[in-house]
Amino acid sequence: MAMVFGWPMLRYSWLSMHASSVLTGLEPVSNQGANWIRLLEDARFWQDAVQTSRFAALSVGLEIVLALAMALLLDQRWRGRGVVRALSLLPWALPTTMMALGWRWIFNTPYGPLEQMAQSAGLSPLNLLSNPDWTWLATVMADVWKTTPFITLLLLAGLQTIPDDLYSAFRLEGGKTRQALTAITLPLLTPYILIGILFRTAQAAGVFDLIQVLTGGGPAGSTESIAQYAYLNAMRFLDFGYSATVMLAGFVLLSLVIFTVAVLLQISGLLRPLKS
Amino acid sequence: MLKLHTLGKRYGSRWILRDLNLEVLTGECVALLGPSGCGKSTALRLIAGLEHPDEGGIELDGRSLDGIPAERRRIGMVFQSYALFPHLSVRDNLDLGLKIRGMAPAKRREQIDAVLSTVQLVNEADRRPEQLSGGQRQRVALGRALLRNPSVYLLDEPMSNLDAQLRDELRPQLRRLILQGPQPVLYVTHDQQEAMALADRIAVLRNGRIEQIGTPQELYLKPATRFVAGFIGRPQINWLKKTNGACIGIRPEHLRPDENGDRCRLIGREWLGANQLLLLEGAAGQLQMLCSADLQPGENLGVSWSPQDEHHFDPISEKRLSRS
Ligand SMILES: Nc1ncnc2c1ncn2[C@@H]1O[C@H](COP(=O)(O)OP(=O)(O)O)[C@@H](O)[C@H]1O
Ligand SMILES: [Mg+2]
Repeated sequence: MAMVFGWPMLRYSWLSMHASSVLTGLEPVSNQGANWIRLLEDARFWQDAVQTSRFAALSVGLEIVLALAMALLLDQRWRGRGVVRALSLLPWALPTTMMALGWRWIFNTPYGPLEQMAQSAGLSPLNLLSNPDWTWLATVMADVWKTTPFITLLLLAGLQTIPDDLYSAFRLEGGKTRQALTAITLPLLTPYILIGILFRTAQAAGVFDLIQVLTGGGPAGSTESIAQYAYLNAMRFLDFGYSATVMLAGFVLLSLVIFTVAVLLQISGLLRPLKS
Repeated sequence: MLKLHTLGKRYGSRWILRDLNLEVLTGECVALLGPSGCGKSTALRLIAGLEHPDEGGIELDGRSLDGIPAERRRIGMVFQSYALFPHLSVRDNLDLGLKIRGMAPAKRREQIDAVLSTVQLVNEADRRPEQLSGGQRQRVALGRALLRNPSVYLLDEPMSNLDAQLRDELRPQLRRLILQGPQPVLYVTHDQQEAMALADRIAVLRNGRIEQIGTPQELYLKPATRFVAGFIGRPQINWLKKTNGACIGIRPEHLRPDENGDRCRLIGREWLGANQLLLLEGAAGQLQMLCSADLQPGENLGVSWSPQDEHHFDPISEKRLSRS
């Protein structure tokens, strides 16, 4: 933990207080917080922050809803459930870069299957990867496809902690199967849903490889995430001081949100599974 | 009156319950007694309407329950796990069913308050199940069953989650709340002592089939099968070696020291308080004997019993052999 997280963090903090670019011959030279002032005025950073946030919010939201539906389905007893359970995990097991390439082909204009379908339906080309207003939705779609299985698994584990007797008792009291979802399942699944949201939000806020491969941050920077901007600063502009600042700022913003929410939830007791 | 006739249930090709015939009369408590996995809970779930039988039927007060859904069967069930809703307070646990059945709020409140005081949980009304002791949880489950004002009670091992001392304490309470009422009670347990203490009659279940139905005395004095003889009575019955054909059992309490009896060596003993349980090794094999004399391991002693205390069973069919 100290080595893979603590040390780099210290290093970034130190670096963010220095100029270290081609201008300084890549030697770190203290610049008294100039990086941070630059960041506050950097419209591109804030645009990326907004983009990263809406990407994370929509992805996680959709994933939770889809995963809940899948988990409820996979929790039922039906023939072939085991096979479907195993298959449904596949997207998650696939390396991100590989599946991002796959999606790039799917969205490709004019050769991808999506465009082909739109074409045969008589629609005009979607241009999903070259439309600054819509391309971020393509990245969301790919992310949802990849990580829904993970949350499904988490929720499925949660569902299995709910004893069958509760549903039997509910039935004896006159409750319908439909009502059991809101009366029993959702309340008892809440801790698992919240943990899924927290975990996935943290992960989605650091998104890098998916977007790098699928859109490269484009078109016109419309899908660029904070992590990508930090990467660009370091590897393209060779401005290591500012790159560290961007990285750190993204991290601080995210941890503020996650930390506050987690503390509030912990206090309210919502994160603790209940025993009957 | 609850009546089961040739009730059967199978999962896949495996019969879990077969040919179950049983009547529980008005005001009567019948214990369904058997080892774990013999189908006791399945029987209750069939009666409650949570599962459908593959054979036979169920009647309640003369009417067939066939096709009547679980919630309309007027059944007060206590689950082995108690099945309390963990996210609801005691009061809300009790309220859930009344609310679903559309009772007016004022009436609900009145009924719940009454039940809370019956099961002595007035001060715990706002607590969640996990904040209650095992005994209190059991009382919530009993309260929920009482509130249904049922025509029959089905209790699935209501004591099995409690420690021995608490069980003894709760027996009078269970009698007062449920067993003394006019409704028939089917009481599931794997504990023969509990069945003997609480039930008017006991049905011994083994591998989904009834071995014997009778009063506790009948089961103890005239076990119909070898299995019942071994299951009823503690310490367990002794099975004699060298019995040319029949399978013979003699209970530890029916053995007595006798100078002229079979010579045995004392190989172990348990002190039970009022008496001792002696473990003996003799020509008849290993024997357990209840005895008040103070003997030391290693000693030799003679043991005898009167032949009328012996239980004889057919070694193949395991059925009781009548001896005149
Ligand atoms: N839904 C089910 N599917 C398959 N087998 C079951 C099911 N429910 C119970 N069984 C089997 O039926 C047998 C009897 O179970 P149960 O009635 O719970 O026994 P008991 O309550 O006497 O311990 C057990 O062997 C159990 O594995
Ligand atoms: Mg059981």
